[in-house]
Amino acid sequence: MTNHAHRAARFLKNEERAAWHDKTLWMVRKKRDLMALDVPDWEELREQASQIKRHSLSKLDDYLVQFEEQAINNGAQVHWASTAGKLNEIVYQIIKENNASRIVKSKSMLTEECGLNPFLEKRGIEIIDTDLGERIIQLKREPPSHIVMPAIHIKKEEISELFHRELNSEEGNTDPTYLAATARLHLRQKFIEAEVAITGVNFAVAENGAVVVCTNEGNADMGVHAAPIQIHCMGIEKVIPRLSDLAVFTRLLARSATGQPITTYTSHYLNPKPGGQMHIIIVDNGRSELIGKEDYRDSLKCIRCGACMNTCPVYRRSGGHSYHYVIPGPIGSILAPHSNSKEYEDLPFASSLCGSCSDVCPVKIDIHGQLYRWRQDLSQQGARSPIKKGIMKVSGKILASDKMYDWSGKAARWCIKYLPRVLIYNRLNTWGRERELPEVPRESFKEWYNKNFREGDKNGQK
Amino acid sequence: MFKMKIVSRSNIGLFIPCYIDQFYPKVGIATLELLEKLGLEVFYPSEQTCCGQPLANSGAEDKAIKTYNNFVRIFSKFDYIVSPSGSCVYHVRENYNILPQTDEVRKVRQNTFELCEFIVDILKTDDLKIDFPHKVGVHQSCHGLRGLKLATPSELIVEHYSKVHRLLKKAKGIEIINLDREDECCGFGGTFSIFQPDISVKMGKDRLDDHRRNGAEVITATDMSCLMHLEGIARRQNREVRFLHIAEILNSNRL
Amino acid sequence: MDRNKILLNIQRSRIKPVNLPEPFCSAEKEGDKTILFKEMLMQTGGDCIEVNSTEELNSLLDNNFRGATDLRRNELFKNFLSYSNKDSLERLKTVILEGQFGVAENGSIWIDDSNFPNRLIPFITEELVLCLDAKQIVRNMHEAYLRTDNAISGFGVFISGPSKTSDIEQHLVYGAHGAKKLIVVISHETNLV
Repeated sequence: MTNHAHRAARFLKNEERAAWHDKTLWMVRKKRDLMALDVPDWEELREQASQIKRHSLSKLDDYLVQFEEQAINNGAQVHWASTAGKLNEIVYQIIKENNASRIVKSKSMLTEECGLNPFLEKRGIEIIDTDLGERIIQLKREPPSHIVMPAIHIKKEEISELFHRELNSEEGNTDPTYLAATARLHLRQKFIEAEVAITGVNFAVAENGAVVVCTNEGNADMGVHAAPIQIHCMGIEKVIPRLSDLAVFTRLLARSATGQPITTYTSHYLNPKPGGQMHIIIVDNGRSELIGKEDYRDSLKCIRCGACMNTCPVYRRSGGHSYHYVIPGPIGSILAPHSNSKEYEDLPFASSLCGSCSDVCPVKIDIHGQLYRWRQDLSQQGARSPIKKGIMKVSGKILASDKMYDWSGKAARWCIKYLPRVLIYNRLNTWGRERELPEVPRESFKEWYNKNFREGDKNGQK
Repeated sequence: MFKMKIVSRSNIGLFIPCYIDQFYPKVGIATLELLEKLGLEVFYPSEQTCCGQPLANSGAEDKAIKTYNNFVRIFSKFDYIVSPSGSCVYHVRENYNILPQTDEVRKVRQNTFELCEFIVDILKTDDLKIDFPHKVGVHQSCHGLRGLKLATPSELIVEHYSKVHRLLKKAKGIEIINLDREDECCGFGGTFSIFQPDISVKMGKDRLDDHRRNGAEVITATDMSCLMHLEGIARRQNREVRFLHIAEILNSNRL
Repeated sequence: MDRNKILLNIQRSRIKPVNLPEPFCSAEKEGDKTILFKEMLMQTGGDCIEVNSTEELNSLLDNNFRGATDLRRNELFKNFLSYSNKDSLERLKTVILEGQFGVAENGSIWIDDSNFPNRLIPFITEELVLCLDAKQIVRNMHEAYLRTDNAISGFGVFISGPSKTSDIEQHLVYGAHGAKKLIVVISHETNLV
């Protein structure tokens, strides 16, 4: 069994928790459906978003240069980081140059991908994640399990226990309103005292150098406006051409992600506050290489909404941690192998290829098509175990010859029919662990047809 | 006896998927009988083996090329190729794009049809004079649903239609039940069912529970693979529900 | 240098150019804009009060929001310009600001640097009151971004409802970090002060 399969099996052992996880995320998918129904031209909007992103990727260098120019004109400082390590270094330098020690960060999958937190912590810098879900997993020392709802896998009883231990909240008080209020109070001080605020970037507008960040909690804004220094970290693929394009994406994003018409705050940062500094760090970390892969380029259209996760029947029943990559679910499964094909070779197979992900993707990434492609490419690259490789080779020969196929089929049927049950339903028979094999018919269709119809007779008269 | 003017003069090649050939010949027989009742001349070329999907889905597309070419060679002489399997038809129409696109390949790809879409779109009929007084749960197999567009997936915001429902709802006495999740995947997914057995089975159990909650006596689908997986679980759990491929229901008619 | 490395890498990919699509023509959702706006605002957890004249507006604000910090007039800005004195900002209980325009499809309101002296104010206050002229409600985000007309000051934001989170078992809680309450006062047929 693959890495994902093992982890999924563990996740499913806690039946109640797994059922809750599945049901809860299905409800978010249904909320998305209701919201989408409310937009008269939803499918056309998706197509528009897809085309804007495709266009942007085809002229990415021009738009990045334009964005940089505008941002600098506005008064921001723009940095470029070709690798994860470079991003971390740049952030560290900015912090050191300003003698800062109190850092807050709002949600940024990019900084998660680059390992910013552990990098800074190793250098003695404490960094507080201010999104409630992220703060919870930070205190729990766990990675996020969903890109929008990072603590979706954690129950309120566990959060209550955690807050009691770390934040001195009332023991046994599991009321979500009380717990959220506890977090608000605790983080309030952090905002007020913050010297550096780090954010991610939902969209970067080339036309006017605007950095756009969407949150429900307001934690990005609390940090950015309280701290003298603001740092926005963006992947190169986040740049879009014009302000007017934002209309398309802001109409799609929250509806797809959480079933809301828009996030509570859609903030546009163009220049630093009086006396403050605004830094934008543009990060590559493998993205420019992905642009060159025609089969997988479209994965860069992703606006990180998480809709694919909510609709995926496999994700809902295995949880984000089963994917062992910073971004889980369907989109994670097509991004991860690009980052490390050996470590993540299991992920494109962690799917039944039902195709629902591609249908909910607001930017129309052909996710299930890319999963299928990755399976071929990974197998070519030698990802398969020698046993599986052997099985495929033999199967290929059998299916290509009608005589071998007929004989194998007959042999398989004979075995299932006549071998003792204990031999068939053994440990090697994964199908048979919780399923019966099909009942064996008297004859195959081919045998029936050849018996009842004259050979070579086109009409098939009995 | 129906007389389909243009189509009845065409010759129809019957493509029976490997697992139906081996384990569910009754589905192949029902398909053949149904098409003949509809006035068509159907021929089953017995050199056929498989469409190659099991290999391709496992990442061994390159090992399946010979099987693909055989398929094209065997079926290129037919005007239409009909099969009681959404996923196999989807595979031929979509994934045979890696073959050099000769006239033969193009012809086969364009003219391979799943049974329901063939009846609705090509034969242009939907009343098969069926008597089926049962509560039926329709499992909407993913490849047929999203791949062949046999119906509208619940997540797409477009006008609703369903070719399978169109054919079924005219059956006398039938009650098509509503499910809580109308088109969630059953978890078969080909080799997924073997290499991810825990999730595969959990997905199957959840589907069966949905059908049971809503009173299904019979569960049907366009893909026997889905039903094989669901039936396997149901039999192990001694659940009381029958499984019939759509061809078997459509063939239980007074034509 | 990383900048050149990244740009060169992108250029090396040599993708076929893809056209920028024509501006999106949005199908109109039927219904009165103000009614739609109110519906969406309430769906997002905001409160809505309607008034019909400037007198009614001022009377409402005096009575219902006694003691609020009214920052609709620029003269009061000077008290809150400093970013270093955050304690006075922390003490803000209710702040009244003028909203520039509203968006019917999602109940959001646009405000920017011209509407407040200090960017922290709309977020740090416990309760936020936004005054909106009913004539200044657009239908959707396409119209909204046309309204901002690419003349966004250094910071602008669409605010839709109070701050919220569902991170604890998907239970909706208002007042995560930003304002716990958002009240929108819609004025019909007035000249806002």
